[in-house]
Amino acid sequence: MILVGLLLLVALVLPGLPLGEWRAFLLDTAQFAFLISALALAWDLLARTGQLSLAHGAFFGLGAYAAALAAPALGTLPALLVGGVVAGASSLFLGLATLRLHGMYFAIATLAFSEVMRTLVLKAPFTGGAIGLPVQPAFGGAFPLGGYYLAVGVLALAAGISLLLSRSRLHYAMAATRQGEAVARVLGVPVIRVKLLAFMISAFLAGLAGGVYAMKTLFLSPYDAFGLGRAVEALVIPIFGGLYTTTGPLLGGLIIVSLETWLRLRIGEGYLVVYGVILVLTILFLPRGLVSLFHRKGAGHA
Amino acid sequence: MLSVQGLCKRFGGVTAANEVSLQVAPGEILAVIGPNGAGKSTLLNLLSGLLRPDEGRIEFLGQEITHAPPEVRTWKGLGRAFQIVQPFPEMSVWENLLVGALYGKPSTPRKVAERVVAEVIELTGLAPKAQTPAGELTLLEDKRLELARALCTQPRLLLLDEVMAGLRPSEALEAVALVRRIRDSGVTVLFIEHLMPVVRALADRVVVMDYGRVIAEGPYDAVAANPKVREAYLGRAQ
Repeated sequence: MILVGLLLLVALVLPGLPLGEWRAFLLDTAQFAFLISALALAWDLLARTGQLSLAHGAFFGLGAYAAALAAPALGTLPALLVGGVVAGASSLFLGLATLRLHGMYFAIATLAFSEVMRTLVLKAPFTGGAIGLPVQPAFGGAFPLGGYYLAVGVLALAAGISLLLSRSRLHYAMAATRQGEAVARVLGVPVIRVKLLAFMISAFLAGLAGGVYAMKTLFLSPYDAFGLGRAVEALVIPIFGGLYTTTGPLLGGLIIVSLETWLRLRIGEGYLVVYGVILVLTILFLPRGLVSLFHRKGAGHA
Repeated sequence: MLSVQGLCKRFGGVTAANEVSLQVAPGEILAVIGPNGAGKSTLLNLLSGLLRPDEGRIEFLGQEITHAPPEVRTWKGLGRAFQIVQPFPEMSVWENLLVGALYGKPSTPRKVAERVVAEVIELTGLAPKAQTPAGELTLLEDKRLELARALCTQPRLLLLDEVMAGLRPSEALEAVALVRRIRDSGVTVLFIEHLMPVVRALADRVVVMDYGRVIAEGPYDAVAANPKVREAYLGRAQ
């Protein structure tokens, strides 16, 4: 909780610090890290109901495309909202069809969804197809730090919702659904509704993050926006940081993206090998994630 | 209170429940007994909504619930404790109970739910273990938790699936006293049990099942003397 607040505070004041010649690069990396952390926080919300999603890369991509297409007509903030809503609505349809599936089967269904979305965006007449889609910067480029602060805002929103949910009564419904679905139902937990709600909130946040990402990279292609890599990142980060927590995905996202960027600078091509080794070692020696370093006993209340 | 008519459930070629009909009166303790594979657990799963019947009708408190989902039955006051105890392992005992108390009745305020948990945790003797992770309980404590969690949903009728299985005789005695206390607090009880001394001690009435059918019904002594029941348990005399 304190750590979450502290990290957000640092994010807010970072552009004001004397960062020297690396400033632009650092802010750019930080912005990307915030968005990926928000995506990881969103993924973790659904994971709390016991569902493993491989569609979060696609929700991120859908949000990115929807926001990019809506921005010229609606302006930046409404366009971002459209991105979130499009991702949330698509999760409602996907959820109605698949949330009765469990574990592996749900994961496979979400993977199929991602592929369908990528193909749709590739073939649709208004998305630029394989050539890609140029995107306007946030607020038409009027504020150089606009995109950065939008990323901070999305991260704060995701962290806030994550904290709020772990303190609400819904926390018990989600945890019960994860730890024993049949028992949860017999105890009166409306399991399907709980899962759908978690899925929609989760996809909405992923879509928001995707929209800000689009306005940061200024160019979208279906291969980048719907790549499986981002879906994998969305689940690796919470596992690395600590599942079912707020600190875990947040801290995990910042560390992993920084690490990835630093390794790429240092060793170029081979960075993925080192990155993989670090992940494997962490998961082997810290199965409950980074947060287990802070409090050895607690079972998911950070 | 509960009325079951002509309930059938088939799994492929096996008929696990065949024209099962029974009535449960308010305030009674009804035992359902029968040899392994008689269809007792299937019956309980049909009653609590984890299985849907192929035929038949279930009424609870005058309302039809034949196809209602499990959570809706719980909201109406039909509680259930499982044979294989399945605590939420990452939660404490208190949190396990809180799930039942928060969701057993729709939109129960947190304060009310915590009061229910406090009462139930006293009644079931789990108070000293309130903060223990549910994954670290002994078998007896597990069974108590299972029962307590069902009680937290504030049932009018409680379905108990072999909650005494695996307990030592002294522990079973304690559990019998606990079930009596639950009934005395105004909860009707339907339970499945293998241990005949427990059935004799607790049940006002006994229903005997074999091969998915109800083969006998009545007070314990009458049922125990019934030749059909003896045959079901001991096999036909050659």
